[in-house]
Amino acid sequence: MTALDSDVLVIGSGAGGATTAAALAGAGRSVTVVEEGPWIDPEATEAFSLEEMVAKYRHRGGSAALGSPPVAYAEGRCVGGSTEINSGLWHRLPPELASEWKETYQIEEFGGDVLDRYSDQIEADLSVSRLPGAPPPSSAVLPQGAAELGWRSVEFPRVFRYDGEGRGTKQTMARTLLPRAVHDGAQLVADCQVVKLLRRHDRVVGARCRRRHVDGTVEHLTIGADHVFVCGGSIQTPALLQRSGFRTNIGNGLKLHPTIKIAARFPQPVDHADVPMHRITEFAPNLTIGGSAGRRGHVALALADSGSGHAEAMADWEHVGVYYAAIRSDASGRVIAVPGLRSPIVTYRLTDGDLSRLARGLILLGEALLAAGATHLYPSITGGAVVRRPDELVQWWDTVTRDRANLMTVHMTSTVRIGERRARTGADSFGRVWGTTNLRVNDAALVPDAPGVNPQATIMAIAARNCDHFLAG
Amino acid sequence: MFWFERQVVAALLHSRDDLARSAVEAYVDGALAALPDHIRAGVAAESVLFGGWARLRGGPVDLERLDRSRIGPARQYARLLRSLVLFAEHELEPGAAG
Repeated sequence: MTALDSDVLVIGSGAGGATTAAALAGAGRSVTVVEEGPWIDPEATEAFSLEEMVAKYRHRGGSAALGSPPVAYAEGRCVGGSTEINSGLWHRLPPELASEWKETYQIEEFGGDVLDRYSDQIEADLSVSRLPGAPPPSSAVLPQGAAELGWRSVEFPRVFRYDGEGRGTKQTMARTLLPRAVHDGAQLVADCQVVKLLRRHDRVVGARCRRRHVDGTVEHLTIGADHVFVCGGSIQTPALLQRSGFRTNIGNGLKLHPTIKIAARFPQPVDHADVPMHRITEFAPNLTIGGSAGRRGHVALALADSGSGHAEAMADWEHVGVYYAAIRSDASGRVIAVPGLRSPIVTYRLTDGDLSRLARGLILLGEALLAAGATHLYPSITGGAVVRRPDELVQWWDTVTRDRANLMTVHMTSTVRIGERRARTGADSFGRVWGTTNLRVNDAALVPDAPGVNPQATIMAIAARNCDHFLAG
Repeated sequence: MFWFERQVVAALLHSRDDLARSAVEAYVDGALAALPDHIRAGVAAESVLFGGWARLRGGPVDLERLDRSRIGPARQYARLLRSLVLFAEHELEPGAAG
């Protein structure tokens, strides 16, 4: 058994973990970051490719929340976490949600103004920016459709740095904050799974880990620490806490953005290497319309869902893009660590209201795509009819059912909510787990509810705020 | 992969090229092995059940029957395998990003 010691142990290296490591190492603390997944050179795989799924996704992308219908989801499992696999879109938390959550959960020093201060700094640090030139065709169809219908749309900035020729590089954590943390003295240990936190009364004194080496051998490792930050994301963080005996309000408030898709066929070719950066915000934050990864494999999957006309449309795949409608959901789910199972069981039970909102979202998305010139729409509904004209969209109303809707998500939050209302939260206003003195959560699990937008900006702003509070304490 | 899973994958493959078929089968094999334990266990149980039924019944794999099933997990079983095969077939071809 190997033993390491550190002032601060950060478990997980995604948006929350990397922010924590960089802030604390930069302040001179002794920091060790452990990441379950491997280090993968960010240049090694094409974005959203099969190779990327194999190398960087947990379960190779094959995770699902059980329910009716089940909701497929994806998580990163590599150094940098989900920032290595996401679209890099950057949305600040809508201020009205920050105010609502502050009141509902009694969160101290929380609000749009507080988070904006941190967002300003992070955005400057990570070069959050808009495209330097015209948008690609796959993205341009969204503002075009919105304009035809008199709806609002916007180009969201992304965590991308552009060179002089307009080529963008996503500023993932493996490219930015993690190297900075290491430069400031942090130790980064990849391929190292934390099995359990080690407790002594109300303190966590370290973690028991399994580190896999390149030759296949496994090293058992104990890392002692004065302070522990768990940053494994909304699924893995509550699972680790439960395995370590922390269960009160841990894992039982899972929120996600159920998402339904349309493969849209256009007369002109659309691009496939990137994710559209425009969103239709007319119905935000409760309903967001945008574009998905649309490589050949994704187009094939999206077309296959409806079933009809799949082969003919696939022959024309370079003219097909994949778009989505995502909702804020009434429902919530659970993350349950079961002894003997390596992965937690995740459940999510959509409400009938959620299904109605998804049907509405699907139809509004269809309207926008037809207004933008799409000639055929293939919904992600088993046996869903192909639509060619706006008056045909109405037939989708009754097809978004528990039996036929094929849903997915990439945004999971709220499994260890923050706030002073102990009956409803798993951690205090700054992420300290109730009943402990030195165990903190600092990732998407803290976000009290689904933000209706990509949560990376919210996660990083809250994490930076919590680090300042920790350092001032 | 279980026997029935191999039969389903073989039935779903479009390519006649042995190398391409092997590459897709290897991908599906890896993807199934990587599933969360509880999901893999459920899929495996269905594979044994459907495989037993298929052997008794004889004849080729009837995927349409699974697609049309009134039982959700049976439809999801067919969708899972179809998704894995389709994604791999199209992504393993050159120029998948256009």
